[in-house]
Amino acid sequence: MDVVLADRLQFAFTVMFHYLFPITTMGIAPFVAFYTIKAWRGDREAETAAAFWTKIFAINFAIGVVTGIPMEFQFGTNWASFSSASGAVIGQPLAMEGTYAFFLESIFLGVLLYGKGRVAPALHAASGVCVWLGSWLSGFFIVATDAWMQHPVGYSLGADHHIRLTSLPAVLLSPFAWWQYLHVLAGAMVAGGFIIAGVGAYYLLSRREAALARRFVYSGTITALVFSMLAIFPTGDRNSATVTAYQPVKLAAMEGLFESTNGAPLAIIGMPDVHNRQLIDPVFVPDILSFLAYGNFNANVKGLNAYATELWPPVELTYYAYHVMVGLGTIFVAVAGLAVLWLVRKRLYDSRPLLWLLLLAMPFPYIANEAGWMTTEVGRQPWIIYGLMKTADGASQTVVTGETIFTLIGFVGMYFLLGVLFLYLTLREIGLGPSHEGVEGAVAEVRA
Amino acid sequence: MSIAAFVLIGFMLTMYVLLDGYDLGVAAITPFVARTEREREGSMRAIGPFWNGNEVWLIAAGAALFALFPKAYASSFSGFYLPLIIVLWLLMGRGVAMELRSHFPSEIWHTFWDACFAISSALLILLFGVALGNLLHGVPLDAQGYFTGTFARLLNPYALLVGLFTVTALALHGCTFLVMRTSGPATERARRLAPRVWFAALLLYALVSLATLIAHRFELSWTAAIPVLTLAAFAWIYAAVRGGRERAAFMASSAWLATLMLQAAATMYPYLLPNLNRSIPGISIFDAAPSPTALASALTVTIAGLIAVLIYGSYVTRRLAGKVSVGE
Ligand code: HDD
Ligand code: HEM
Ligand code: HEM
Repeated sequence: MDVVLADRLQFAFTVMFHYLFPITTMGIAPFVAFYTIKAWRGDREAETAAAFWTKIFAINFAIGVVTGIPMEFQFGTNWASFSSASGAVIGQPLAMEGTYAFFLESIFLGVLLYGKGRVAPALHAASGVCVWLGSWLSGFFIVATDAWMQHPVGYSLGADHHIRLTSLPAVLLSPFAWWQYLHVLAGAMVAGGFIIAGVGAYYLLSRREAALARRFVYSGTITALVFSMLAIFPTGDRNSATVTAYQPVKLAAMEGLFESTNGAPLAIIGMPDVHNRQLIDPVFVPDILSFLAYGNFNANVKGLNAYATELWPPVELTYYAYHVMVGLGTIFVAVAGLAVLWLVRKRLYDSRPLLWLLLLAMPFPYIANEAGWMTTEVGRQPWIIYGLMKTADGASQTVVTGETIFTLIGFVGMYFLLGVLFLYLTLREIGLGPSHEGVEGAVAEVRA
Repeated sequence: MSIAAFVLIGFMLTMYVLLDGYDLGVAAITPFVARTEREREGSMRAIGPFWNGNEVWLIAAGAALFALFPKAYASSFSGFYLPLIIVLWLLMGRGVAMELRSHFPSEIWHTFWDACFAISSALLILLFGVALGNLLHGVPLDAQGYFTGTFARLLNPYALLVGLFTVTALALHGCTFLVMRTSGPATERARRLAPRVWFAALLLYALVSLATLIAHRFELSWTAAIPVLTLAAFAWIYAAVRGGRERAAFMASSAWLATLMLQAAATMYPYLLPNLNRSIPGISIFDAAPSPTALASALTVTIAGLIAVLIYGSYVTRRLAGKVSVGE
């Protein structure tokens, strides 16, 4: 295995694992803030809900933090050439993430977890909002970083091929970043909605916590419906448009379009056969791809044949990842829509099949989110900075394959343990339920 | 502007040492001062609300180094590949132990997590110290500024000595924090431990200073004035600890650590990575900095952000500061 492949595997593995946790924190942070504020206004039930979701949030956050730190350092350890060339640009949003988002989130989470009864109630309530703000801000800065790698702006090339920043606002306000960010938020909120609803459904099915469970199902399903629609339109649609404009090869790979076509069809299913440059067993909807990409049913969409094969991303992975995301996205609208319809008809809380559906839906938003990132990142290949630097040129020159494999194995082992711990603790908290006082309560006397 | 950037990174790392230093220190001394599960829980509670925010200083300093001195970031992080990854793993162990402990229902688990917490924190301090030792001493770099040595090379006697000194220094800092923020049997033991750690730190400080002087062939510069401040702060810690002035002891210990960081920065300046091989210069702050536009914007946004952090951070800390008392 060459060292670049090892580095890529390590990055892919660690970032995909890390991202599982921010999805949840970004997705449930608004709920934590909402229930905390309600509790401050005197809603006793919301107080229980706030304590419960804060606990789940905190477990998530802890794992998010410990898996996030390796990400931050990995640019330097594994991608030194890339970092050295582009740090002037890439480093800025990352540094802003630290100073503007992580401090906010971490410091106020301390207040949220330990401040009850110790600080003024208003400060406690405000800290919920600060944590929410912190988690969404950190999402923005990291997406802005990634968006710059997808579509570099606000820079000039120095004589030594070093990338010089010319405008920080251009980097932060890049349209690529904004649509990507809004889409990421939508994806996280879909996950958040399905989690809240799914946990509520679990309690209703097990005939516990009836009052709170209804509130969870109610707000969860509505959130899930609204945001799964927003994930498709406008954010998903606009994301496709920016990809069409700036990364046409990626679009061709996502859609499995091998030949440039006028009035290109949209492949709903089908398996790409890269060797023979065709889709096997496809189901097409005529002309739709041209319409989605250019708003014109007859437009010419460039296929992979328009580009040299060296510039192709791994077609199969890009194609399947994209189709998994879009397929799941459609299913989410259907599931959440059905649930909301039953909610309106006031039959959802008693409909056991639908509650089961909500319960089982919980893992799928994670899959959709991860698949979306696979599309984005794998589709960017072979570039690490689109059009500027190849991934193969970005890796550290002093690190050898053996070292990377050693640390990769280490990470896999650690993350496996972390995953088991996380599942155990989260399922345990959900099993104990919101009304359970928890270990925290038992040691409450240990403070002045 | 490169100098301002150097000062900024130095400031962020100093904040890291002062703040995360106390919770690492508390973790490292807890096995020696807290006998029962209850008492260990008390120590954890004292640092619980703060440690994560404290650790962000390290993350933010790392990211600021990336933005302000990309070449130094790239060369040092890839050069110290293995030690850094080990630091990451230790940080993970500590974070998980700290945060997840309270969610486990049984005492056996608590004991397990407490041990994880203490061991990973103590090793972290040692590794940070070893890293500092290497930076002061210089590391072997090639003409491109990439590290050419081995892992074992980094564990040279000088670096290990600095590492040991760091352990005692942060243990002392942790003692003063624990005394200030808790009350109970463990607090009393920490109070009695403090002077002993103080003497150990004094001894190691003398050894480190001597070794540094020998390595630098007794060439003295204006920085020779800093140790005077260091020793003054050091004496102040002793007086405050003996006098039972808890807050003053912590302040003194913070001031003392700050002078040590100043000393380290002054020794390294203008290099971020001094080259051990003196025929090739190391990576200086002028080589590693990006274009002036980039430096200016990174400095502005980072400083503005940090001012806000200092304001709300100190506000929140004051609100949450109270003694954690642990009964029998
Ligand atoms: C629950 C999550 C979720 C759902 C339902 C969808 N997406 Fe998505 N998608 C993401 C979660 C996501 C993501 C993980 O958040 C990504 C990765 C990078 C990004 O910007 O968002 C993403 C990326 C992404 C990209 C790649 C952007 C790039 O390469 O820069 C496109 C073109 C779309 N999405 C389009 C869609 C469309 C047309 C959807 C319609 C059903 C859709 N997404 C549903
Ligand atoms: C938003 C910030 C992100 C940045 C700055 C970033 C950056 C990078 C870098 C530097 C690489 C290594 C070079 C390469 O192979 O392209 C990479 C690869 C990769 N990243 Fe991202 N990434 C980000 C987010 C994500 C997320 C959230 C995911 C998935 C959950 C992800 C998935 C991947 C994958 C799968 C690869 C490997 C690509 C391959 O195998 O070809 N990335 N990314
Ligand atoms: C290369 C990619 C990434 C890097 C370098 C990175 C870095 C980090 C770091 C260092 C932390 C710990 C913060 C703390 O101590 O409080 C963290 C947490 C977090 N990250 Fe990432 N991250 C990456 C990918 C992502 C992506 C793609 C997102 C979302 C869009 C994201 C969102 C978050 C959030 C919301 C947190 C807060 C903690 C949590 O909620 O779990 N990160 N990240």
